[in-house]
Amino acid sequence: MSSAGAAGTSNRTYSFKVVLLGEGCVGKTSLVLRYCENKFNDKHITTLQASFLTKKLNITGKRVNLAIWDTAGQERFHALGPIYYRDSNGAVLVYDVTDEDSFQKVKNWVKELRKMLGNDICLCIVGNKIDLDKDRHVSVEDAESYAESVGAKHYHTSAKLNKGIEELFLDLCKRMMETAHAEERAKGNGASQSAATRRGVQIVDDEPQATPAGGCCSSG
Amino acid sequence: MSIQRRGIHLDQSELLCKKGCGFYGNAAWQGFCSKCWREEKQRQIQEDWALAERLQREEEEAYANRQQKSQPQAAVTPFNKFEERKNKEKSSKVHTVTKFFTPSTKTPPKKDAAPFDAHSGPSPSSSTRRHSCLEDERATQEFIDFLKPLKSGREIFKQCRAFTEGMVYKQDMGADELSECVQDFYQNLSDRLQAQFKGSSDHVESVMDEVEKYMMTRLYKAVFCPESTDDEKKDLAIQKRIRSLHWVTIEMLCVPVDEDIPEVSDRVVKAITDVIEMDSKWVPKEKLACITRCSKHIFNAIKVSKKEAASADDFLPTLIYIVLKANPPRLQSNIQYITRFCNPSRLMSGEDGYYFTNLCCAVAFIEKLDAQSLNLSSEEFELYMSGQASPNWLQTRGASSSSSGSTALTQVHNQADLSVLDKREEHVRKGARQLENDLIDWTNEVEQKVQSALESFPAGTPAPAGTAASEPAPAAPSAIDSENVENELLPPPLQPQVFAG
Ligand SMILES: Nc1nc2c(ncn2[C@@H]2O[C@H](COP(=O)(O)OP(=O)(O)OP(=O)(O)O)[C@@H](O)[C@H]2O)c(=O)[nH]1
Ligand SMILES: [Mg+2]
Ligand SMILES: [Zn+2]
Repeated sequence: MSSAGAAGTSNRTYSFKVVLLGEGCVGKTSLVLRYCENKFNDKHITTLQASFLTKKLNITGKRVNLAIWDTAGQERFHALGPIYYRDSNGAVLVYDVTDEDSFQKVKNWVKELRKMLGNDICLCIVGNKIDLDKDRHVSVEDAESYAESVGAKHYHTSAKLNKGIEELFLDLCKRMMETAHAEERAKGNGASQSAATRRGVQIVDDEPQATPAGGCCSSG
Repeated sequence: MSIQRRGIHLDQSELLCKKGCGFYGNAAWQGFCSKCWREEKQRQIQEDWALAERLQREEEEAYANRQQKSQPQAAVTPFNKFEERKNKEKSSKVHTVTKFFTPSTKTPPKKDAAPFDAHSGPSPSSSTRRHSCLEDERATQEFIDFLKPLKSGREIFKQCRAFTEGMVYKQDMGADELSECVQDFYQNLSDRLQAQFKGSSDHVESVMDEVEKYMMTRLYKAVFCPESTDDEKKDLAIQKRIRSLHWVTIEMLCVPVDEDIPEVSDRVVKAITDVIEMDSKWVPKEKLACITRCSKHIFNAIKVSKKEAASADDFLPTLIYIVLKANPPRLQSNIQYITRFCNPSRLMSGEDGYYFTNLCCAVAFIEKLDAQSLNLSSEEFELYMSGQASPNWLQTRGASSSSSGSTALTQVHNQADLSVLDKREEHVRKGARQLENDLIDWTNEVEQKVQSALESFPAGTPAPAGTAASEPAPAAPSAIDSENVENELLPPPLQPQVFAG
């Protein structure tokens, strides 16, 4: 089925943009550093930066270039979200399983993303820090049923123990490939996004700025 | 390679034109003078593209009779569309096209006198076109050189040239439509290349880069900050806004760099230079490269300060800080230009695109910035914005405090700052009052002294000032002596004023 859909593009390389969203300190940066560099809390890293990272994958014979965009998680940057996530193929929404609030933030992100991008974007909800399971404050059932209700997939990870991360991104890539195929079939050609959708840098004004700026978290 | 050329290594023969015409040559023209370089280049073009030229003419003739029915429609197939667009502009275009291929005709005789003015040919000249001609030619040459080894190079060149020539005469179009045209062209060309190169996207990318470079070098003057937009107004607005935010400190933004470290402050300066330099580039990709270089300096500054790799939470605030410090020229125009005319794949998922997006975020943040986004009270914010107070002098004391996590600290400092300011003002006011009192006291004192002096010289005796000066000292008591000294310090009008009535 999928090979038929990709008739003219069997050799193509997929390029996907994935944004990382979530409250400060839930482990976004840790997740992506673990995934792309297999490092955790490593002070001697040779990596210059951990905000834009890429990974090349080969999925069932197809080449995939994954670009992972870290976003600033502080509350005061919340309104900039749309600038970051426009044109992205996937979003990884991270919360900390020991922090109920951070799960609430994920729900807000989901609402916003669905409103702005509809179903074009593949959503992953990720409960990180499962190594701290004894302090868990978000129940597995709640999280998973919520994810299902909004058409997202749910994953459990630990950046510290390197658990669940490979699966998360592999799964996401497969789903993004399917979406790309579906889009191609719908449009009848290989063009990815139409030029019209990529224009207009805008930010939305009606952000629910519930709490005042949270400040930095480097103490933690 | 340029290392040897640097320094003072001036051999006359090296400076002269390689053709030996007597004029000076230039490295940028491969050692030729401008005239010989142009001739040499055009000879090459002639050889390589004579066929393309002929095809072009044939095509134009073939389309000439269809000239009128050429409204751009959404449904036409990609390249027909461009043929049609091009055809629409055909009549005016012919000059510029042939210009490249027929070097010696119509060239004004006195061009040697002005070796840097490459073309004074008969182009339907908006002056902008003439200025950018040299750049145009270089871009064309480089594009041709790049395309030569490609099997379809000639075809690609033809399409791009036709499209570019057509665009030049569409300046009355709105910026969004211009952008739409260019983006459609990129899209169609890259789809075709994709098919042709069997999906080797690296290859497609590298061709598309050159396409963008060629086209945008030639279109830059016409489509950068066009009059049909309010880009310029926005430029001035953001410039003014940034100027009014001069007081924003590293601590307020939670910027994790420590400028006391020489390497860090060096990186900061370089980052500022790079983001400013963006304005001088013509090609979107080269503008992006400036932003990327700026970002890399920022990452280095963060890494040296923090001893760990920068995350987005470190990067964005620092970029905001750099933009505030740099106040880059024509910031909005540059962002719009890149958004409109850059190769979309680069903006959407590439590394350059990430940094560019962050720059857009920084600008949006600066535009919307309020007290809350800096963790200030709205009173403080207003005070700083209105210029009534400035947190900066406190900076010198606060600089050594650890930068991240110091929001609360900053606030405390700012409040301390304010109360210190209050105290200072109070102090100054007190001083002023004191001075006033002193002045009154002094005047009174002087009055008294003068009066007593006058009383001690009853009427009929000679005026005190005169006697004191002419008579020998022993006659006068020491007290009067000292009073005389003070009397001399008095402003002359005082005496008559006080005692006149
Ligand atoms: N125990 C445990 N700690 C983790 C895990 N992932 C991240 N952390 C810790 O959580 C803290 C925050 O991690 P970051 O990766 O900086 O979080 P972030 O989401 O990028 O935070 P911001 O950049 O501030 O938005 C760090 O101290 C990490 O060491 C995990 O899986 N398990
Ligand atoms: Mg982070
Ligand atoms: Zn010469």
